[in-house]
Amino acid sequence: MDPRYERLAEVVLDHSLALKPGQVLRIEAEAVAAPLFLPLHREAIKRGAHAYAAIDLGGLKELLVAHGSEDQLSFVSPIALREMDTIDAAITIWSETNTRSFSRADAERRKRQLAADQQLAMRRRDRISRGEIRWCGTLCPTDAHAQDADMSLEEYEDFVFRACHVLDSDPVGHWRRIGERLQARAAELGTVRELRIVGEDTDLAVVVEGRTWRPAYGIQNLPDGEVYTSPVETGINGTIRFGFPAIFGGREVDDARLRFEDGRVVASEAAGGEPYLKALLGMDEGAAAAGEIAFGLNYEIDRFTRNILFDEKIGGTMHLALGMGFEDLGGRNRSALHLDLICDLRREGEVYADGELIWRSGSFLREPEPARDIAHVR
Amino acid sequence: MSDSRHERLADVLVDFCAGVREGDLVTLESTTLAAPILRALYRRVLAAGAHPLPRISLEGMSESLLKYGNEEQLSWENPVRADDVETVDVRIVLEAAGNTKRLSNIDPARLARQQRSAERLRNRYLERAAAGELRWVLTAYPTEAAAQDASMSFAEYEDFVFGSAFLDDPDPVARWREFGERIDRIAGFLASKRQLRVVSDGTDLRLNVEGRAWISAKGRENLPDGEVFTAPLETSVDGEIRFTYPAVFNARQVDDVRLRFEAGEVVEATATRGEEFLREMIGMDEGARRVGEFAFGLNEAVPVFTRNILFDEKIGGTVHLALGTAYPESGGLNRSALHWDLICDLRSGSEVYADGELVYRDGHFLYGTNGWSD
Repeated sequence: MDPRYERLAEVVLDHSLALKPGQVLRIEAEAVAAPLFLPLHREAIKRGAHAYAAIDLGGLKELLVAHGSEDQLSFVSPIALREMDTIDAAITIWSETNTRSFSRADAERRKRQLAADQQLAMRRRDRISRGEIRWCGTLCPTDAHAQDADMSLEEYEDFVFRACHVLDSDPVGHWRRIGERLQARAAELGTVRELRIVGEDTDLAVVVEGRTWRPAYGIQNLPDGEVYTSPVETGINGTIRFGFPAIFGGREVDDARLRFEDGRVVASEAAGGEPYLKALLGMDEGAAAAGEIAFGLNYEIDRFTRNILFDEKIGGTMHLALGMGFEDLGGRNRSALHLDLICDLRREGEVYADGELIWRSGSFLREPEPARDIAHVR
Repeated sequence: MSDSRHERLADVLVDFCAGVREGDLVTLESTTLAAPILRALYRRVLAAGAHPLPRISLEGMSESLLKYGNEEQLSWENPVRADDVETVDVRIVLEAAGNTKRLSNIDPARLARQQRSAERLRNRYLERAAAGELRWVLTAYPTEAAAQDASMSFAEYEDFVFGSAFLDDPDPVARWREFGERIDRIAGFLASKRQLRVVSDGTDLRLNVEGRAWISAKGRENLPDGEVFTAPLETSVDGEIRFTYPAVFNARQVDDVRLRFEAGEVVEATATRGEEFLREMIGMDEGARRVGEFAFGLNEAVPVFTRNILFDEKIGGTVHLALGTAYPESGGLNRSALHWDLICDLRSGSEVYADGELVYRDGHFLYGTNGWSD
């Protein structure tokens, strides 16, 4: 057995969840995630937790979308709703057997089925934000994800485990140190009024004054490594070009370029999928405004792999999300959309904070002042 | 791969066995190895207008709990499973093991403890079933592990499994209805009897079944099916019985079990192999040394022993008794965390007497006697 799966399991249980004896842990995964699921379950049992499985088979939801009645499509199991109130911790393993299995599904029906799933996710989200449960989303390498990343499964495993730092001598220590550093970075960014991002075909001013920056260091995602906030809704001006494809609902938009005026997209084009991009921008009132701006800081993630769990953390990039903002960070934009667009700043990118150059060619110019206290940060 | 027998099995399970109706909440319970039939069932349940709720486990989970769990973890009752048992309308359960011996080296005392912790939910669902609030069906999906236990190739074993459920018949449901009528007559005949005596090599056992219900198991709660069963009066079982087939429980095998009963209780238990495990199980609780079920196996499409009780207890020409808990609908009062079926082949040199009269010989009821006929 590959020991890296067990080490990833340990990081999730000890760092992300800080799992304690007697806690009820729900592990949600597709059957194909067995190589990670089984060590997670076993190690959780060894830690004295009550761990159990919610396992899905690839292909079942597809059958529901293809054949379900209206009633069946929008059905939310009362048992599943109550379940969300009984757990102390949850893990989602986002592993799929086929990442394109809904490509030909009826979009309207798929939307209705997702809306039903969303009710459960919201219930869990509420409990997470109240601090009642800890949750972490991670991934078990599969051929489907390797294929999306243009890699063999073996290469993809190496990529995933490097990104999660499970081969470090002390992975949990690594993520704690990342936490300290990103917390300090977030605190520093919290004093900034306006960011200016300059790169290839990009010159964008983003007002972030009064907003909270959040460090992401392996608590809710593994891998992790970003700091993010919701920008001031009327405070974005200029142009930005996104070098990597953007993926929403399984469909891609390539090489998107946007022009903002007073926080709203006023012009958009894309080399591929432009009609889809325009359709997304018109989805609702909030879809043409930004809900998130972030720095990707995981330098073990050095390439685009068509999976947002990794792509948004590529070291040396920034991303901007159109649509839904983060209320708890001060964001006010609301939308059914949250489209992450990734801007590669590794070669000629520069970022200025209130006129001062703070980032060049993919990294901050200096380490932040150490934060005094990170105990309150989750 | 699409095996048309998968579709037929799904049809029989959903439409006939479980009688799934519009709006039902239906759990589909199995391991990931049963994926092809789970997909067929999921679709069939949707077609019936009901809501399929997959409850899928990965093999290896129970092993981790049994190996590494502490007392509290072993006896933990999952509130979600409890909610299932109280809420759902139908359970469709499919055995599908990748390795039937994976629990062989688990401490029997820990197995017994986990068994006890599962007892409350097991009783609750049997209660709801007896009250007509919940329908359930247990079946088996062929795996290499099960084929190996049966000493068959996978292809042979598939044929055995699907054949035993009459899926090769052009109309399996019609075949099950016809079969059901036949064994209903046997149950009706037995219902008029008080005392049974089973005589075979190493066996002379007497039991009283007066006032107890004989139930025909005719393809509703098990597939395959084919037995008539009851619960003997709790203090009535006397004599000795030798079980011709190995007794298998939680993947542990006990060979050549011999039990002596006095006034309904096991007073002597021996085995040529696994005797310690046998004693551990019998000592599990008060009810584990009493008989909760006595039954005749009647499915001629199950001719051989395959080390799987779902099939073995239905072998045409056998009887079995179960130590431990009784099915409430049979009128039995015995309760235990155990329900362990032990099988005795009566196909040669064997006789069964009912109230002193010979009614069964060498694996067959004697037709045309005693005012009933087939």
